[in-house]
Amino acid sequence: MSVLARSVGNAFRNKIRTSAVVAVLAVAIGLALSMLVANQAVGSKVQELNASVGTVLTVNPAGGQGFEGGGEPLTTAESATAAAVPNVVSVVGTKALRLENESATSTSSTGTTSQQGGPGGGPGGGTSVTTSLKAAIDAGTLGNRNNTNSNSGAAGGSGTGNSGAAPTFSLPITATGIGAEVDTSGKALNITSGTGLGDYTAASTKALLGTTLADKNGLKVGSTFTIAGKTFTVAGIFDAGTTFGNNAVYTTLAEAQALASTPGELSSMVVTVNSMDNVDAAKTALQSALGSDKADVTQGQRNLETAVSSLDSVKNISLVAFIAALGTAGLIILLIMVMLVRERRREIGVLKAIGARNRTIGLQFVLEALVLVALGSVVGAAIAAFASGSIASALISSNSTTSASNQRGPGGGGFGGGFGGGGAFGGASQLLTSVTASASPSTIAIGVAAVFAVAVVGALVPALLTARIRPIEVLRGE
Amino acid sequence: MIEVKDLVRQFKTGDRTIKPVNGVSFELEKGTLASIVGKSGSGKSTLLSLLGALDKPTSGDVVVDGVSLAGLPDGKLTEYRRRDIGFVFQQFNLIPNLSAIDNVMLPMEFAGMRKGARLERARTLLEQVQLDPEKHSRRINRLSGGEQQRVAIARALGNEPKLILADEPTGNLDEQTGDHIIELLSSLSRDHNTTILVVTHDRTLAQKTDRRFRLQQGQLTEEAVRPRVVAGA
Ligand SMILES: Nc1ncnc2c1ncn2[C@@H]1O[C@H](COP(=O)(O)OP(=O)(O)OP(=O)(O)O)[C@@H](O)[C@H]1O
Ligand SMILES: [Mg+2]
Repeated sequence: MSVLARSVGNAFRNKIRTSAVVAVLAVAIGLALSMLVANQAVGSKVQELNASVGTVLTVNPAGGQGFEGGGEPLTTAESATAAAVPNVVSVVGTKALRLENESATSTSSTGTTSQQGGPGGGPGGGTSVTTSLKAAIDAGTLGNRNNTNSNSGAAGGSGTGNSGAAPTFSLPITATGIGAEVDTSGKALNITSGTGLGDYTAASTKALLGTTLADKNGLKVGSTFTIAGKTFTVAGIFDAGTTFGNNAVYTTLAEAQALASTPGELSSMVVTVNSMDNVDAAKTALQSALGSDKADVTQGQRNLETAVSSLDSVKNISLVAFIAALGTAGLIILLIMVMLVRERRREIGVLKAIGARNRTIGLQFVLEALVLVALGSVVGAAIAAFASGSIASALISSNSTTSASNQRGPGGGGFGGGFGGGGAFGGASQLLTSVTASASPSTIAIGVAAVFAVAVVGALVPALLTARIRPIEVLRGE
Repeated sequence: MIEVKDLVRQFKTGDRTIKPVNGVSFELEKGTLASIVGKSGSGKSTLLSLLGALDKPTSGDVVVDGVSLAGLPDGKLTEYRRRDIGFVFQQFNLIPNLSAIDNVMLPMEFAGMRKGARLERARTLLEQVQLDPEKHSRRINRLSGGEQQRVAIARALGNEPKLILADEPTGNLDEQTGDHIIELLSSLSRDHNTTILVVTHDRTLAQKTDRRFRLQQGQLTEEAVRPRVVAGA
């Protein structure tokens, strides 16, 4: 008979009570573990999001975005200014071109660059040039509606005549000159075959094509096509993940600037900030460095940020619930052990009368508490394994109802903005549901360790109470 | 060698103060078998608990082999109870959900004895108090009063104490078994030089002890000196 054996024996002395205590403990421990699992799952998702898209700012010319709006274009000099702003990790300039298929623009002189509205004129920033490529997207209802809109906008500009092209209208292709191997939202390009463009700041007749655009035109790595009459070689094919994103061409920044005959001009800048926490401060600093009359700084992935903050609140809720459930487990242990110590005062007195040290008796009670907690943990872990998935998704769905309404806000912009917002919204809701809470053994182990730590603390108080019991009490049946 | 010096223990009940032990002094040589008699409620158990460091006197002191109990901290008093004292309680005070043998092994475990050694010693002791071997592993609450009393005696002997304090150790035993227990105790005092103080109502038991005390109105008086020596002369 050792201290441990005695503790185990004592834990089972009253089987009905032991079962009741274990059941209550199991609920508390199961809840604690579920919350921990949810917390870890959401936490890693938040980290993943922060690491990828949450830290990107987009700078557009004041009053313009994509091919719409007006104002002064951004310049390479301004990208240097932006790079000097604190917390900014990188600045990637882009130059967007609108490519129109040669056959669709046959009414205008083939092979010449047609400036669609200069700075200060109608739609600014965008430049239309011809190409041998055919768009991978059919115009459809949306396209035709957008085309009408853009033509009415173009009417306000210099009006170089492609407005008569409506019957043969096909969607334009976006060609973007990029200063690094990232897309216009700052995400690294996923090149599925071929290679990148190497030095993105030098002029080069190599280009990257989206998968669907390449398929539509029957192009492979090494194939050639033309932009503004100039022959380009396909260096690589990328997959942007969306149909819209894959109907695009990337060239080096310098090449796009040359094609548009606007050296040093940028359509937008993609600014990456070092951490999610600094994004707001960097945005303000960037805006004042560039001047609010010159540039608009927007958080391209605002909706994702909303998603992240809603996930963050889920994370906080689950953490609080974990601590609360843990505290409850500790409290249960504390109360049970106080009760047991009171009940066994006489026995404790006897043990002391025959020479047991205080620490021997204290240890016996702590071990007895741990036996109860061990049983509670086994049942609790089983509960958590079954319940944590549904608890996590219940937490997230109740929270994303509020975040979804927020997400619709920035989605209402123009052509580019609308698509971007919609795509990102889809991504955000997808990531909310993709948080899968799986009870990994290591998480459960951490949780159980925490439960045991709390139980030791909870059992220590009553165990220390035993030290105050005087052996003489046993002689008088008090 | 135990010296008891002007020991006083008083209790306050309501506005009355009673002093069941009121100025008790005596000395016991090593290896003495002594008895205390006295009316019920005269304070015998109270005196014994003071000697066994289960209770603290209102005043006075107990000195065991030159060490004053009054000057010892609680930890040392626990050690004194564990190593030097074997206490047989009037109400046995065994742990009810443990077996007889586990109860006997408890003090040995507290003293750090190895498991095999304590099992063997516990068996020997239970045999010495004549408990049926088949009852060694029976739970305490399934033993008779007399059987429990003998387990309590066996437990007190576990750590070879130098002072055994036994409160009515034969109160629940038949004459024959009682005689055997007395024989066991006197052999311990003879052969192991153990000092033994027995509280009893049993006149015949008291007759067999080296020294006989009577507790009356808080005072201890010795009845006759060394009857065994006198009888043998
Ligand atoms: N904790 C206490 N508080 C108040 N009075 C007490 C306390 N302990 C003992 N007494 C009283 O002290 C007196 C002596 O009690 P004690 O148990 O020592 O008697 P005893 O001689 O052992 O009697 P018995 O032969 O019946 O066992 C009794 O009157 C008892 O009521
Ligand atoms: Mg008594």
